[in-house]
Amino acid sequence: MTASTAAPASTDAAGRPMKRSAGKNVWALATRELGFYFNSPIAYIVITLFLVVSGAMLFVFNVPDAARDFFAVNEASLRGLFGPTSPEGFGGIPLLFVFLVPAVTMRLIAEEKRTGTIELLVTWPITDAQIVLGKYLGSVLFVGIMLLATVPLAFIVGGLGSMDAGLVIGGYLGLFLLGAAYAALGLMTSAWTRNQIVAYLVGALICGLFYFIDGMLGLLWDGARDFFAALSFKAHFQNVARGVVDLRDILFYASFIAVSLVVTVMSLQARNWKK
Amino acid sequence: MIEVSGLTKSYEDFQALKGISFKVARGEIVGFLGPNGAGKTTTMKILTCYMPQTAGTVTIDGKDINTDGLAVRERMGYLPESTPLYTDMIVYDYLQHVATVRGVPKGRIRERIKAACEMCGIVDRIGQVIGTLSKGYKQRVGLAQALIHDPDILILDEPTSGLDPNQIVEIRNLIKQLGQDRTIILSTHNLPEVMATCSRILIVHKGRLVADGTAAQLEEREAENERVEVLVHGVDPQLVRAELGALPNVRRAELTVSSEPNVAALELEAPRGGDLRSQVFKRVVEKHWELLGLTRLELDLEGLFRKLTREV
Repeated sequence: MTASTAAPASTDAAGRPMKRSAGKNVWALATRELGFYFNSPIAYIVITLFLVVSGAMLFVFNVPDAARDFFAVNEASLRGLFGPTSPEGFGGIPLLFVFLVPAVTMRLIAEEKRTGTIELLVTWPITDAQIVLGKYLGSVLFVGIMLLATVPLAFIVGGLGSMDAGLVIGGYLGLFLLGAAYAALGLMTSAWTRNQIVAYLVGALICGLFYFIDGMLGLLWDGARDFFAALSFKAHFQNVARGVVDLRDILFYASFIAVSLVVTVMSLQARNWKK
Repeated sequence: MIEVSGLTKSYEDFQALKGISFKVARGEIVGFLGPNGAGKTTTMKILTCYMPQTAGTVTIDGKDINTDGLAVRERMGYLPESTPLYTDMIVYDYLQHVATVRGVPKGRIRERIKAACEMCGIVDRIGQVIGTLSKGYKQRVGLAQALIHDPDILILDEPTSGLDPNQIVEIRNLIKQLGQDRTIILSTHNLPEVMATCSRILIVHKGRLVADGTAAQLEEREAENERVEVLVHGVDPQLVRAELGALPNVRRAELTVSSEPNVAALELEAPRGGDLRSQVFKRVVEKHWELLGLTRLELDLEGLFRKLTREV
């Protein structure tokens, strides 16, 4: 990665100056990715699927008590979307995202490798870090749009009775952070292969692992339960979704995202290692 | 402007480049010629900063490609081997995307897209999805992509492969036109292509540079023979062959396929030195034959190419 702003601007063949701007490069790549989703059926299929399953989770399978639906529970809450709040429970959008977000990110780099467009991408005057940030921003914006699509559900439920606004805002913030972390993991696995399916499966596997880690490994080794809970997407999500925004939870997601993106940049640069 | 010295590249199991050095001056159109697997694409990938060399240096106007990669990439346009494009995008959107990433100032993007599309003849396809274009048009979009920022160096890897003859001629003319004020390096394994477009030829074979010069220089250096084509009207071809083949010094006399009826076409070969044409002319006049053509064949690049790249 070279500093992109300090260097003097170049000129084209006619001697006119060219503009070098990291922000513009990142934004151009992000909008290209968003454009891809919305110019193809992918965005509409993913968002429809997401809304159908979210709606079903909210109104039909209202965890924790799957025997009683939303109306039988008789409580205006979005618990069906955010999943249960107990360490043992799981479900809701956090679990759904394990399967959906890697599907959004799987093509980001794998497809460029398969079609060879990566060769143009990395020979344009942009740094690998800008490529990774641009693609990441595009996918995170898409995850944000998916979440925005569920906001009408919140208004419907809010209209049925008094709802705790803090819980709703906390829940959405938690979902967004979670989705952003999954997207970073998905982008990372997309940089490891030229096969989108492999990128998807490995991405979903890693997301699932960090979602269930406290439940799975904590079961095997009770003494380390707290340690695994500290690594668990689910535990940190439940903290945020309770409406308590703790800096530690934010830092957890931020560092997860940072590590994944750095590994992604390194995976892109791996082409330079075989000297 | 481009200086390559001692370039080597090893892959895990074989050495693709074994020390290549050359210089390219501004305004040259250089043809990189060699059989498949000779190291052409590897060299281009290194020049465009796609992958690093194992050893050796490349500088472009004094800027090293390894330490000043961004500045080097800004001045280059690159068309990779199989013309990879974002097939889901519309031509205009794609070119706009490339122009933005390439650093063309916002106010000049439209003007640059227009200029690139006009140069590459894709103005009428500007609203079409790239994936639905024919191969020739995709190739032109790839070229427009390489030109969008008006670079002074163009690197084109097999720009005419897979095109039909008309498209090939169009792309060649375009390259010649572009080469008037730019430096172009193009690779090909196609000889006529190099002769039609390039001002200089580099022949690579098995990772080494085996020849460097203009077509005429290479011919001069390598060829020991002079070749002449004779067209004679209304005479039995075998008789022409026997008569002219008997001229002193003629080593080889072969009938070739004549495109006109009742015309004998003959190719003669003699060691360089005296002008074979005057001997042929005198003999034809003695025989009172009708001479329709007498041409010295300047270039036997094909033979030279085979000679240089023969398996050793």
